[in-house]
Amino acid sequence: MNFLGFLITQCLNALSQAALLFFLGVGLTLIFGIMRIVNFAHGAFFMLGAYVGYSAVALTGSFWAALIAAPILVGAFGAAFELGILRRLYNRDHSAFLMVTFGLTLIMGEAIRLLWGVAALEVPVPKSLSGIVFILDEPFPIYRLFLAGAGIVVAIAIWQFLERTRLGLLIRATSQNAEMVHALGTDVRLVRSAVFGIGCGLAGIGGVFAAPLVTASLGMAPNAVIDTFVIVIIGGMGSFAGSLIGALLVAFVQVFGTYYFPDLAMALMYLVMLTVLVIRPGGLLGKEA
Amino acid sequence: MTTRSNALLLLAAIILALAPAGLPPYAMTLLTEALILGLFAMSLDLMVGYTRLLSFGHAAAYGLGAYAAGNLLLHTSIPLIFAVLLAGLFSGIVAIGVAWVCTLASGVSFSMLTLAFAQLLYAIAFKWTSVTGASDGLAGIPRSPGPFGLTFFSGRAGFYYLVLGCLIGAFVFCRSLVQSPFGAVLRGIRENEAKTQALGYNTRGYKIAVVAISFALGGLSGALYAPFAGFTNTELLFWLFSGQVLIMVIVGGAGTLIGPIIGAAFFMLVSNFLSSWTDSWALFFGAIFILFVLFAPQGIWGLATRAWNGASPEAKGRRWRFLSSTG
Repeated sequence: MNFLGFLITQCLNALSQAALLFFLGVGLTLIFGIMRIVNFAHGAFFMLGAYVGYSAVALTGSFWAALIAAPILVGAFGAAFELGILRRLYNRDHSAFLMVTFGLTLIMGEAIRLLWGVAALEVPVPKSLSGIVFILDEPFPIYRLFLAGAGIVVAIAIWQFLERTRLGLLIRATSQNAEMVHALGTDVRLVRSAVFGIGCGLAGIGGVFAAPLVTASLGMAPNAVIDTFVIVIIGGMGSFAGSLIGALLVAFVQVFGTYYFPDLAMALMYLVMLTVLVIRPGGLLGKEA
Repeated sequence: MTTRSNALLLLAAIILALAPAGLPPYAMTLLTEALILGLFAMSLDLMVGYTRLLSFGHAAAYGLGAYAAGNLLLHTSIPLIFAVLLAGLFSGIVAIGVAWVCTLASGVSFSMLTLAFAQLLYAIAFKWTSVTGASDGLAGIPRSPGPFGLTFFSGRAGFYYLVLGCLIGAFVFCRSLVQSPFGAVLRGIRENEAKTQALGYNTRGYKIAVVAISFALGGLSGALYAPFAGFTNTELLFWLFSGQVLIMVIVGGAGTLIGPIIGAAFFMLVSNFLSSWTDSWALFFGAIFILFVLFAPQGIWGLATRAWNGASPEAKGRRWRFLSSTG
C-alpha cells in the first residue's frame, strides 16, 4: 500500500468534508456576528437545501441549476422568517431566538417529511464530475475534489465580499456597533434580514453539495446542526476565520478519526471541542468568553 | 406561596389521589404517563426557569434513568421502588461529571454542549448492545415486587400511586429548594451571574449542583417510565425528546415548577388528540411553541395566575423576565 498516496487522498477527503462544514459554519457565524442570535434551525435550512436541490435536479436534470436555485429559495425563506418572526424578538433575551428557531426546526422537519416523504432521496453526481481519478495510484472520486475546490472558491468569495463590497462593509460595521450604523442612516433591520437570508442560503448550498454524497434524508438536520455548532464553538462565535479553522479541524478529526478509531470518531470531535473550551472558553478566535 | 395557592395545590393532590377510583384503565395509563412527564419537565425547570441554564439535552437524564432502572429490574431482584430511586441517584451522579464539563461554557455554548452530550449517549446506546440492547432496546422490564414481598406497586393503581408519590415528593423538595438560600443564589445567577459572582458565590459550583439535582429528578422520571412502559429504546435519548420537554416547560410556564407539570399534561393531551387525526403533530407543536414564545412567554400557568390576580404590571411576574428584555 502506498502510504503517501493514502495520506494525500485522506487529506483531500478531509478538505472536501471541511468545505461542506464551512458552508454551514460560516453562515451560522455570520448570523451570530451581526445579530447576536443563534440559529438552531441552521441544520434544517441545510436539509431544506438538499431537498430543494433534489427537486431542482429532478425537474431540470441539471445539478448546476440546483446549485443556483436552492440557495436562492432557501435564502429567501430564511429572510422571510427573519422579517415575519425573528424581527419581533430583538429586544428579548437570546434564549427566545434559540427556542423559536428550535420550533422552526420541528416545523421544517415535519413539512419536509410531508412534502418529500420519509425515504432518503438520491441525488446523482453530475456526469461531468462522476468517476474517479488516481492520485499516486490511490483512487479518489472527482466529485470530492470538486467539492474541496468549491469550498476554497466560496471561502475566498465570502472573504472578498466582506472586505470589498458595500454590503460587506455594512455587515462588518453592524457587527461592531449596530446603533452607530443605524445613526449614520443605514436601515440596520434590512442588513439583518439580508444577513439571515445569506447565512441560510449558504447552508442551502451546503445541502445541495452534500446531497450526492449522503442522500437527502430527514436525519440531516440534527447531525448538521451539532457539527456546525462544534465548528463555531471551536473557532469562536462570530469569527469568519474561526469558522474556517473550525471546519478544517473538525473535518480532519472526523476523517482520520473514522479511519483509525472508527468507534470513537464522534467522541473525538467532542474531545477536541472540550480541549479548546478548557484552554480558550470563547473559542480559538473568539472575543467573548 | 400564599395559603390560598397551598390550599389549591392540596386540592389538586387529593383529586389526583382519588383518580384511580373514577377513571377507566386507558385514562389511568395516560394520566400516569402525564405525571411521569410532569416530573421530567419539572426537573428541567430547575435549570431553565430558575438558573437560566437552557439545556438542549435533558433527554440524557431521562434515558440514563430509564436504562439504569431497566438493567436493575431485569438483572437483579431489587424491589421496584429501590431500583427507581437508585437509577435516579445514578443519573444525578453522572450529571456531576457532565455539568463540570458543560459549565466550562455559558449561554449558547452551554446549550450546545448539553445537546452534544445527549447525542453522544444516544450514539453509545446504539453501540453498547449488552447494556442497552442497541436499536431493539430493553424489553420485558418487570415491576419487581418487594420489599418483604409487597406487590402493591406492581398493579396499575399501585404503580400510579408510586408515580404520584414521586411527583409530590419531588415537587415539595423542589419548592423548598427554590425558596431556600440555595434557590436565591440560583435566581441571582439567572438575573446576573457576574454580580452574583462578585458577591462571593462560587456560581459554577451552584450550577453543577443544580444540574446534578435536575438530572437526578429527571433520571427518576425516566426510571419510572421503564417499568411503566415495560421497555426502553434509544428514542428516549434522542434530541427531539429533549426539545419536547423544553416545549413542555416553556408552554407550561418556566420558573414556576407547577407550570411545567401542566405543560406536560397539555402536551400529552394535545399530542393524543392531534395524533388521532394527523400524524404530523410535530408541525402543530412547533407552531404552538413559536406562538407561545412570541406572545405568551410566561406560559399557561403564567397566563392563568395573571388572570387570577388581575393583570397588574407586577403580576406579569419576575419569574419569566429572563425570557423578555434584559435591556
